[in-house]
Amino acid sequence: MKIHSAAALVAALALTGVCPPSAAGQPAGTGREYQPPAGPAPRTASGKIDFSGVWQKPYTPDMTKDGKDQKGYAQLPFTAWGEAEWKSYDAAEGDYTGACLPFGMTRSVNTPEPMQIMQSDKYFAFLFEQNSWFSVIPIDGRPHGHGIPTWFGDSVGHWEGDTLVIDTVNFNDKTRLDTIGHPHSDQLHLIQRFTRPDLGHISYEMIVDDPKTFTKQWNNTRTFTLRPDWEIMEYSCEENNKSLWEGRIKVPKYKRQ
Amino acid sequence: MDIAAHTHTRRVIIAIVAGFALAALQPVAAHHSFAAEFDANKPINLKGTVTRIEWANPHIWVYLDVKNDEGVQPWQCEGGPPNTLTRNGWTKDSLKVGDQVTIDGVLAKDGSKTCNARLVKLPDGRSVFAGSSGETQQRQP
Repeated sequence: MKIHSAAALVAALALTGVCPPSAAGQPAGTGREYQPPAGPAPRTASGKIDFSGVWQKPYTPDMTKDGKDQKGYAQLPFTAWGEAEWKSYDAAEGDYTGACLPFGMTRSVNTPEPMQIMQSDKYFAFLFEQNSWFSVIPIDGRPHGHGIPTWFGDSVGHWEGDTLVIDTVNFNDKTRLDTIGHPHSDQLHLIQRFTRPDLGHISYEMIVDDPKTFTKQWNNTRTFTLRPDWEIMEYSCEENNKSLWEGRIKVPKYKRQ
Repeated sequence: MDIAAHTHTRRVIIAIVAGFALAALQPVAAHHSFAAEFDANKPINLKGTVTRIEWANPHIWVYLDVKNDEGVQPWQCEGGPPNTLTRNGWTKDSLKVGDQVTIDGVLAKDGSKTCNARLVKLPDGRSVFAGSSGETQQRQP
């Protein structure tokens, strides 16, 4: 073997990335990227696109940045209030997720842990592995409810052709949009658009509409990958949250409602 | 190239590939802000003996005794979430009590003997529990 070919081999392997042992669906040391099954997008008995499955999502700790399988929105159109909220945020003073409080909708979708989607004609359910949370969303055309503001908000879905649109309002203002801490207010209106171009993928768009925090809507687009070789696992955030118990991270101080 | 030289070249290549592979290992994302707890600008290298492993969410923890001039000091280092590590092929038994390990990590901000482990290596060069919760690194799905 000649040295220059050895160097090429090294470079090729380094570029592809090499994984630890025998990762499920991603053979050890090969650097081969997982490929989902191919085929047309499945449909339910009633003819709707069926998004059911366990999905690998791109980790999106900062929704302004691009990453593998996700495109960020670089320059957020902050209002003066939004910019002040963003500039004053310090995770060291308490990132609520470190206290195992609910991540909320955007940060749950942003996590690297997979999610399962279950769907019927009436409901669409997110089963997030992160902290074993879920959100069950009516998709039968009913309007939003009038409950108290919540961490995950009040979601309803409707179809626009083969695109499922999930519309969420009535969030509390205790969450952040992403890990780095981009803010939102209780006026957040979140729109999630799902299409399934083929069996193995979902094209996903998250649209942030929050007139108190941003001067206009902005979006973040991603591709989810079907993982029929994965099962959702239990995730108890509270079980061994030493970092909180030992005082290295703080519980955020929320204003009393 | 004779066989001995060929073998040597292959070993060199494997070593270099392993080096790149370690550099490319994916960190396992935090369930909260990494920067709130750890200081990415304070790297640490620890050599010690594993005394306990906690394989539980939200992160695994590896406890080790580190010998230095002042005697034996107990340290604790955070790893990734067990679910993600399991999907990547690791088990709780990938590391055992009594194993001698070298940990490259970063220190907690509070000054305690706590680190976030970016790399845990055994004496034979194998790494276990690859990745950490460092969100500053690019995560590979």
